[in-house]
Amino acid sequence: MRSIQRRLSLGLIGVMVVVGLVLAQTSLWLFELGLQRYLEAGLRNDSENLLVALVRGPQGLQLDERRLSPAYQRPFSGHYFRIDFADVHWRSRSLWDQELPRLDHPGLHSNLQLGPEGQKLLVLRTDYRRLGQGISISVAQDYTPVRDSFRRMQQVGLGLGLAGLLLILLLQRLTVRRALRPLDRAREQIAQLQRGQRSQLDEQVPRELEPLVAQINHLLAHTEDSLKRSRNALGNLGHALKTPLAVLQSLASNAKLDPYPELRKLLLDQLEQVRQRLNRELNRARLSGDALPGAHLDCDAELPGLLATLNMIHGEHLQLSYVAPPGLHLPWDREDLLELLGNLLDNACKWADAEVRLTVNETTAGFSLAVEDDGPGIPKDRRDQVFSRGTRLDEQTDGHGLGLGIVRDIVDSWGGMLALDDSEWGGLKVVIELPKR
Amino acid sequence: MRLLLVEDHVPLADELMAGLIRQGYAVDWLADGRDAVYQGSSEPYDLIILDLGLPGVPGLEVLAQWRAGGLATPVLILTARGSWAERIEGLKAGADDYLTKPFHPEELHLRVQALLRRSHGQVNQPTLKSAGLHLDEGRQCVVRDGTDIQLTAAEFRLLRYFMLHPEQILSKSHLAEHLYDGETERDSNVLEVHVNHLRRKLGRSVIETRRGQGYLFGGQAQ
Repeated sequence: MRSIQRRLSLGLIGVMVVVGLVLAQTSLWLFELGLQRYLEAGLRNDSENLLVALVRGPQGLQLDERRLSPAYQRPFSGHYFRIDFADVHWRSRSLWDQELPRLDHPGLHSNLQLGPEGQKLLVLRTDYRRLGQGISISVAQDYTPVRDSFRRMQQVGLGLGLAGLLLILLLQRLTVRRALRPLDRAREQIAQLQRGQRSQLDEQVPRELEPLVAQINHLLAHTEDSLKRSRNALGNLGHALKTPLAVLQSLASNAKLDPYPELRKLLLDQLEQVRQRLNRELNRARLSGDALPGAHLDCDAELPGLLATLNMIHGEHLQLSYVAPPGLHLPWDREDLLELLGNLLDNACKWADAEVRLTVNETTAGFSLAVEDDGPGIPKDRRDQVFSRGTRLDEQTDGHGLGLGIVRDIVDSWGGMLALDDSEWGGLKVVIELPKR
Repeated sequence: MRLLLVEDHVPLADELMAGLIRQGYAVDWLADGRDAVYQGSSEPYDLIILDLGLPGVPGLEVLAQWRAGGLATPVLILTARGSWAERIEGLKAGADDYLTKPFHPEELHLRVQALLRRSHGQVNQPTLKSAGLHLDEGRQCVVRDGTDIQLTAAEFRLLRYFMLHPEQILSKSHLAEHLYDGETERDSNVLEVHVNHLRRKLGRSVIETRRGQGYLFGGQAQ
């Protein structure tokens, strides 16, 4: 989609250009028409003066030179006449060697070209009867200066129009930008939401945006609420199922079953399968995935608590540490991230001799998490087995396997990459690359 | 060792009680959070096993109230909610260990043993060692210089308590409080008999009698 700003600018330019051109052209045309009317009145006057100057002389009709305007005497003065009689025609001295053609019919004619200077003439032909003769008088006036000034006016008008257009565009841009500022703010807030820097959009927006913002906020609250409720329900379900399972597991170890070792083994195996399946599926169902855009984990606030919990479970002899840029927030759900890191670190602690380290880094492509230990590691040729779905190495959790099933589920749901590498201490290094959101 | 078990699911509580008693612990059982808040801080328990989903007061709240009241007894949390976010909350409330349901009974026993050793300053030891003795809590016998010495259940319980409190004067009433649950009749003569049995098996010098004060274990060791 093109931006609203661009659409508004293009639309405005189009309308302004069309309307401006039509207006300018029409007003010029009207003005020219009016001017010609005015000049026509002058020409008619000249024509009547010529008629009056026609007097009866010794050889019939002749022009009274004294009544003629001097402009008719000077060559190419810009004022000309031609008087047609039945058989002869007279023309003004100002025409010099040029011929003013006789017009086909009476009335005003423009755009007649004449003379070496290419003057454009406005010609008026009027027919009279005088002293018993039909006389047709054509008077002409040079129209070029008027035309030139019109052209100049047109140019000036065009320049002014363009400047006006630019000014209007500039002002329009400013206005639109000012009007769209709340949209920009909303866009910025949504970006912050995505980076996990806020959990709701600001409600102080123009009326047009209010329903949108309110709806987004409502959806956010609703998603968060239903996530919380479903997690709680899953917790209750887990509690309801796991407590009887604990009873069954304890019963299977009861001394009364000592005479039936096969029965006990079968029971324990089946219970173990139920337990693993239940844990895996409940954990998977708890994942929020990408449901909440505002979710985030504050590394400085949460990681020390996680490491302390792990130290409590695995003993104080393990040295757990983390390296993360200060103030780093990871833009995923807190519980999901803690589950991911908890399982990875728990696994590392099981195998480590003395040291486990978590490294969190922000990269250009996203985030990279690495958990390494100083334990025995996994030989290269067996690493593929760890993540291939359904292998025992992966599914077994207590001591023997890696317990990375849930880790893989979480990383998959975020579209990340999981890889195994060698730690600098000789142990295993699990590297997770997560894309930006 | 006297333990408090707070668990509202009766069949599970029965199973855990039976298992823990077989392990030689004196166990009191409560099912309600409100009772637990009071009894946990008023009786001298050595360890508390606390379920989080309790009626009355939620388990985490019970734990927080104990810790706010200055109770230092180690607490092992037992819960079906095993997410790491919840484990961290448990730790912040003051838990010392965390076990998620379902679990093997042996795992609980191992965790209880480890937590007791840890809370008595014996960090990072897979078994209980004190005064040249080595207690095998799985087989309930004691090993000295590579030879097994068999113990009765009562002797095992008494010796374990001594070994967790070496070089401390322990009065008879203190021992009775920590070796019997709240409902057993406490008879100090029985204690004397067991102490004498232990002396016969391990040598007189292992447990000294401080007249008017009580017993001292491992006072002259090495």
